[in-house]
Order: sequence, then structure tokens, then C-alpha cells
Amino acid sequence: MNKLKLRFASVNWKKEARLLPGYIIVTLWVLFTFVLLGWVLCASFSTTQEIFAGKATKFPTGLHFENYVKAWTTSNVSEFFMNSLVYSIVSCVLLILICAPAAYVLARYTFIGNKLIQTGFASAMGIPVIMIILPLFGIISQLGVLQNVMSNKIVLIFLYIGINVPYTTIFLTTFFTNISRTYEEAAAIDGCPPMKTFWKIMFPMAQSGLVTVTIFNFINIWNEYFISLIIASRNETKPVAVGLYGMINSMKYTGDWSGMFAAVVIVFLPTFILYLFLSEKIIGGVTGGIKG
Amino acid sequence: MKKNKGMIVAFLTPAVLFFLVIFVYPILRTILMSFFNIEGVTDAMGLWTFTGIENYVTLLSTSLFRTAMLNLGKIWLFGGIIVMSLSLLFGVIITSGIRFKKFFRAVIYLPNIVSAVALATMWLQYVYNPQYGLFKTFFSALHLDSLASIPWTDGDHKFMALLIAYCFGMVGYHMLIWTSGIERISPDYYEAALIDGANKIHQFRYITLPLLKGVFKTNITMWSVTCVGFFVWSQLFSTVTAETATITPMVYMYMQMFGAGNTMTDRNAGLAASIGVVLSLCVVLVFTLCNLLLKDDDLEF
Repeated sequence: MNKLKLRFASVNWKKEARLLPGYIIVTLWVLFTFVLLGWVLCASFSTTQEIFAGKATKFPTGLHFENYVKAWTTSNVSEFFMNSLVYSIVSCVLLILICAPAAYVLARYTFIGNKLIQTGFASAMGIPVIMIILPLFGIISQLGVLQNVMSNKIVLIFLYIGINVPYTTIFLTTFFTNISRTYEEAAAIDGCPPMKTFWKIMFPMAQSGLVTVTIFNFINIWNEYFISLIIASRNETKPVAVGLYGMINSMKYTGDWSGMFAAVVIVFLPTFILYLFLSEKIIGGVTGGIKG
Repeated sequence: MKKNKGMIVAFLTPAVLFFLVIFVYPILRTILMSFFNIEGVTDAMGLWTFTGIENYVTLLSTSLFRTAMLNLGKIWLFGGIIVMSLSLLFGVIITSGIRFKKFFRAVIYLPNIVSAVALATMWLQYVYNPQYGLFKTFFSALHLDSLASIPWTDGDHKFMALLIAYCFGMVGYHMLIWTSGIERISPDYYEAALIDGANKIHQFRYITLPLLKGVFKTNITMWSVTCVGFFVWSQLFSTVTAETATITPMVYMYMQMFGAGNTMTDRNAGLAASIGVVLSLCVVLVFTLCNLLLKDDDLEF
């Protein structure tokens, strides 16, 4: 028994030693990431003078929460933040309501055009935004919807949904294909119409796939930059990414570096918190949408 | 089957409509626009003047656009080599049976969920800062003064700084694609190889790499797609509009269409459209080449 234990211990130790170079490499990389994010977090609680004196992580004058208060109230961050929150949540909900039924039909029924739609959606994921933005911008400015804050916001949500429809549908199609058909067969025998079967049985069963794709869409829309930059030109409609860019530029004149780092933290905090709790699901979502 | 016709139509229509409005129609119109001279992007088709391939000729003879394409090519090639090798290395390490696999994987992917504007700001205002920056303090502490004194954000070093920062953000994503491929390889192959006396490096060279051909294709395609849309990083790293060190085609197009346009005198939406077509063709070209060079049909696993 003792001998066995010893052998196990030595095998394990040998294995770990063999993996040592691997450990060192990934640990260094992870360390760098932590230093980068950790320093920015510290700097956001520091003052501009302390940052330039190289004392951002030592807090000689204590924690400065007022950086956050200042960024939140005076630099429009609260407005950008609320805009992004509304855009992301509304788009995510509508995306599910639009794409889940389509994905279900594509996964379950054979009909003319099924393959064509799936191929079309898959290729759309490789289309650069630059290829579609000009005509879209043309239509949008012709309609005159950019004059009004509310219609501007609606147009933005419409675009966010549109560009994420292909990915969401393809992801959910793979997901529905992997759910067993027996549930629908049982429902059909009991006389449940197919549409009701979908909403009452299949939709709830796909919950984990729906959650994964929603988190992914949320992060994508939260971080979207190019379309927002073109379509959301005024402060009332800007999402955080575009707003932050404007703030960095104005910060160069006012010299408020700690306030800028606070704004950076505010911008990346929501997606970071999501990631802290749901990183496994997010990682699953990355590879789920791609057929290797 | 007939009974379900209504359901198929009802369930598909919204998604397909969005697809037609956001993708199909704009793509076709952009292709068409690229052959015309169009003064305003909102102009009706009647106001367009057909110029054939003149837009493409103009583009190729514009030195700023050529610089932008060259920058993009350098990002694609050098960045691609760095990102692909680093992400493959991490992918292999992550799947080699180390402890805390999930933790390492999650942290390496982390930069991908951070807004690119925030991430680029962190690099620019912290890592590359000449006064209190990470590189400055780190290399000074090691007494590598020549490295510590590199002015990362000046004209000569800006492109390299941009490339390093961008690659850092992209490694995690491609690592995940590699890992998903490696994890699908059956452990039987490695067992058989082990019995035959192959070491880790042999196993990697003769089992892992050949079986990852398809995944490599996916990786290159995804890399090309994201590269073509290279915009935020370039915009943040440029101190003036149209800075030649960091300009990319997308930035050029943005300036041409929507920007202050201090370098462009005439506005031609057709020219901007032709940039889109050129970039899309690049993606298609890379995709086709990958499919031709890396046939993996015979390797089903």
C-alpha cells in the first residue's frame, strides 16, 4: 500500500515537472494580464499626480472614490452607460425571439431553401461591416431618422439585431439539432400542434443554449464600435465605447488621468462581471458558433 | 409536411427579412456603387455616373490607400504569425493536462470580452507611457535601459506598439479555436504513438498538427475577417487623422466618407464602396487559398 502511494506520488511529480515549461509560460501571460488590469483599477482610485509620480498602486492619500463620481456625473458616462444597457438588453431579447424560431425550423424541417439560408447566414459572418455600411447609412439618413433621439436609438437597435442575426441563428440551429426528436413526437401523439410544441417544450429545453448565445450577443453589442460611431453622432444616443473615445480625447486637454481610468473601468466592468460568473458558458459560445 | 408550411414561413420570415435588409441588399448595392461616381451617399441611383473600374484605378494609384493596404498586410502577416503560434502554444499547454486549466483558459481569453476602446486605452496610457508605464518601470528595474527608453508611441515605434497590443487581445480567441480542435482528437492516437515510442514533440508533429488542418483553416479565416475590420486600434493609436504609420483601409474609408476629411477634397461614395469590395475580395481570396492548400477531406476524425 505504502509502495503504491509512493509510486503514485512520484508519477504525479514527474508529470508536473514535465509540464513545468507550460506552467511558466501561461503563468507569465496571466500575470501580465493581471498587472495590466490591476494597475488600471488602482489608478482609477488614485490621483493624477500620484499616477505621474509612479505611486498609483501605493495610495499615499487614500482611495479616491470621487474619480468615479466625477466620471459618472460630469462626463456623461451615466448617459452612455444607460444607452448601452438599453441597446444591449433590448437587442438581446429581440434576437432570441427572432432567431430561436428560425433556428428551430432550420434544424428540424427539410424544405427548399433550407440549405441556402444556412449557407447564406454562415457566409454573412465573414462579411466585413465596411461592405454593408454605406447603403445602410444612405437609407438611414434619407429617412431622416437621425434627427430624432428616439428614432435614432431604434435604428441602432435594429442594426445591432441585424448584424447579429446570422451568428445567433447558426449557433441555435446547431443547438436544436442536438436535442432529441422524441419530445416532439410525444407531443404530436398527444395532439399538441407544432407551434405550441416549440414554445411550450422546445424553447424552454433550449434554455442553456439561449443563455450562452445571449451573453455572447450582450458582450458583442456592448463593445460594438464602428456602426455606433457612424450612426450615434450625438451624446444622447452614444453607447459607452464611442462615449469613452470622446472622453479620452477631451481628457488630453483637461489632464484628468485618474478620471479617465475610472471611466475605462466603468466601461469594462459590466462585461467583466458577466465573465466572472459565466466564463465557462462564454467560452462554450465561442467555439459553439464555429464549425471547425 | 404540408401542415407545417405556415409554421415554417412564420418562424423564418423575421430572421430572413433582417438578413435581406442588413446583408443581401447592402452587399449588392455596395458592389454596384463601386462602379459609379457618387457625390453623396444618399443620392438616388439616377444621379450616379457610371465610371467602370475607374474607382479601383483611383484607389490603387492613391499612395495613402496603398500605405493603408500595406499596413493591413503587415498586420495580417506578422500579427498572424505571432497570434497563430502563441495561441497554438497556449492551446497545446492548456490541453496537456495542467492543473487550473479552466482558470488559465479563462484569463487568457479575458481581453476579448473587454471593449477594444478600453483595452487600447490601457495599453496606450499605461503600458507604453514613457513616464510611469509598465514597460518603462519593468525594464528599468531589470537595468535594461535601452529597452526602457524606447519611445513606444512615437512615429517609428507606433506600428510595432499597435501590433503587440492588438496581438495580446487576439490570442485568447484563437487559442479557444485550437483547444476545441485538439480536444476532439481521440486519445487513442496518442496511446498508440506512446506504445510505438514517440515522444511529446513527435506526437505533436505527426498527430496533432496534421489533424488540426481544418482548425487551422478556421483560424486563418477568422483572423482575416477580424483583420479586415481593423479600425478601433488604429483610430486610438493615431494622434492625427490619416497618420501613415497606423492607417488601415477601414480608417481611410471612414475618413473618406464620414470624417473631417482634411486629406480628401472630393467626396465619392463609389470610391468608399470599392474599398469595401477590395477588402471583401481579400477575405474570399484567403478563404479560397486555404481551401485549396489545406484539403482535409481525407482526414475525418
